Amino acid sequence: MNADRQIRREIADCGRSSEQRIGLLPQRLREPRNNAAAEDRTATWMGIGIAEIGAMVGGQIRQGHPLPVVLATLCQLFDATVKGYSSSILLLDRTGARVRNAAGPGMPASYMKQFEGSQVRWNEIAPGLRLHEVSPILSLTGEPLGIFAVYQRESNSDLPRCHAALMAQFTHVASAVIERMRSDEALKRSAELLERTQQFSSTCCFSWRVGTDEISSTKELRQLFELDADDVPVTFELIGARMHPEDISSFHKMIERAKSGVNDFEYEHRLRLPENSVKYLRVVAHRTRHQEGPLEYIGAVQDVTHRRHAEEALAKSRDELARAARVTSLGVLTAAIAHEVNQPLAGIVTNASTCRRMLAVDPPDVEGARETARRTIRDAERASEIVRRLRALFCKKGATSESLDLNEATREVVALSLSELERNKMIVRTELAAELPSVHGDRVQLQQVILNLLLNASDAMSSVDDRPRQLMVRTERDEKDCVRLSVRDTGVGFDPQAVDRLFDAFYTTKSSGMGIGLSVSRSIIESHRGRLWATRNDGPGVTFSFSIPCGPQDVTTGVNSARSANAEERHPRSL
Amino acid sequence: MTVMVKHPLVSVVDDDESVRESLPDLLRELGYSARAFSSAAEFLASDCVAETRCLILDIAMPGMTGPDLQQELTVRGQEIPIVFITAQADETVRPRSLEQGAVECLFKPFSDVALFEALNAVFRVS
Repeated sequence: MNADRQIRREIADCGRSSEQRIGLLPQRLREPRNNAAAEDRTATWMGIGIAEIGAMVGGQIRQGHPLPVVLATLCQLFDATVKGYSSSILLLDRTGARVRNAAGPGMPASYMKQFEGSQVRWNEIAPGLRLHEVSPILSLTGEPLGIFAVYQRESNSDLPRCHAALMAQFTHVASAVIERMRSDEALKRSAELLERTQQFSSTCCFSWRVGTDEISSTKELRQLFELDADDVPVTFELIGARMHPEDISSFHKMIERAKSGVNDFEYEHRLRLPENSVKYLRVVAHRTRHQEGPLEYIGAVQDVTHRRHAEEALAKSRDELARAARVTSLGVLTAAIAHEVNQPLAGIVTNASTCRRMLAVDPPDVEGARETARRTIRDAERASEIVRRLRALFCKKGATSESLDLNEATREVVALSLSELERNKMIVRTELAAELPSVHGDRVQLQQVILNLLLNASDAMSSVDDRPRQLMVRTERDEKDCVRLSVRDTGVGFDPQAVDRLFDAFYTTKSSGMGIGLSVSRSIIESHRGRLWATRNDGPGVTFSFSIPCGPQDVTTGVNSARSANAEERHPRSL
Repeated sequence: MTVMVKHPLVSVVDDDESVRESLPDLLRELGYSARAFSSAAEFLASDCVAETRCLILDIAMPGMTGPDLQQELTVRGQEIPIVFITAQADETVRPRSLEQGAVECLFKPFSDVALFEALNAVFRVS
């Protein structure tokens, strides 16, 4: 039985390496171990050893012969070994009910043909042949794989019975061959599936042994990085040379982080390719550590260039749309205001003209002039009333006051703006204090302030290239039962002399933007009985903070003016 | 009000009260007779239609608009020279109005000089 196990292992292992089991590396053939043959002489019967049978069929497997051919060889070996007998192997499909392939080189072809695709039956026997012995071929787990049948030629009916041990050994070899080749087939299918999936999803797989920096990958990875030489192993140095200059430092950071043993990492970076084109890659990897084995990451790299380009085009058209919508609504608004105000202005001008004419005649029509002057004043009052009403109209939705969690409001804003910030290469960190007391106020207004501070910080860092663009959002308890939110950037900062003007309406250092963002933000915070201020950091950049009292209290009416100015700022980018 | 032959009648049709109040006085100062109506319907129902030598007509009015009234008068065969007035600062309004037969189109607020010139154009034409 030792010999049987040996032969099974021999057939199962021949020509395989562990890499091939993962399906990643091209087949690396291994020389079969021949020492098994010497040990198995005990199983010799009529001159041939079981190990030799194994070696012969193993050779065919290695050469890539299909399963029916290998099984036919096995039958031929049996037929040659046992004179006067012919054998056949019927291969069953996975249900075990139907014959899928039948091998019987020593049997009449017409006889073998009847089995193809049929259910197993034995009633039709070829002329001159007698079914001698049938043995089921079972897998290691006992599933039926096929049937090994031995026929006796009628002319040789006086031969002794076929040796049961030999039957058992051939059946055993057949079982090993079928299992091995089925698993080969499954492996091949899996490799094909992997390859095709990689192709249509622009993805490729890799594994990275952290200790040795050994990177195993498919040829698709080389194609993705556009590495020319096929024989040179993929290294971080080669990949680094392809990396976009702006992404090199974060690429190295990713490697450092991975080496420190994080479980998973996910990362996106750009490649700068020979024709100066840029490719966006997304990397996801998962740490695997086999028992006692080396630390290894298995992951996938996906080319997301098309998606990135589509996203950029989408963001651009969204910006344009927002700008167009704002200009349009502003135009409509202006026309409506102009119409309302022009009516009384027409009365004023006409009355004043009449008044002047009445006074110019001789004698002057003083009574008429007094009446037209009265109407002039009345129309002017009407005009100012219209302006007041218009303002009231835009403030129709007065500030609402509700109990709210500043951390939650902050998280929402950060989540909404994160993709935009990260696209601008901002490293966003949040440090939100645990158990922050709730505040009372207008959620939307406070979120507008937070968003405005985030975007200001982002704008202040957009030209920074010599240091990381770090954006830190922090909430904490402040003195006097207040909570504080601060947004710290590493941007260009501001002129110390300008600090007093920062919050003035229409003061701006940006080429785009109306300069009302901070002014509106301050109005909103003040209406929440809080304050908004800016401090220069010790290092580069600025920290903007606001502090508002916690606990119940109403937002003051002063916020209305802030809101009316804000009504035109639907698109926060140009605040 | 007595309408004298030497003071041709100018009718003002505008839903805005301050215009109805102020414009007739100015027209009188300029030497015209003047009547004011708050809507096109009111004007059509009055006994002034045949007598009116010039119509100062607001474009945007609830119900029948200025251009609607212009069309109605054409249908009735009572073509009166029209000076449109409007509070809507839309540059396309003026050429469109002139094209459709108005003598002038003034944007509120307009000066007495502009009104005077428009009326001169009307009465030169007629």
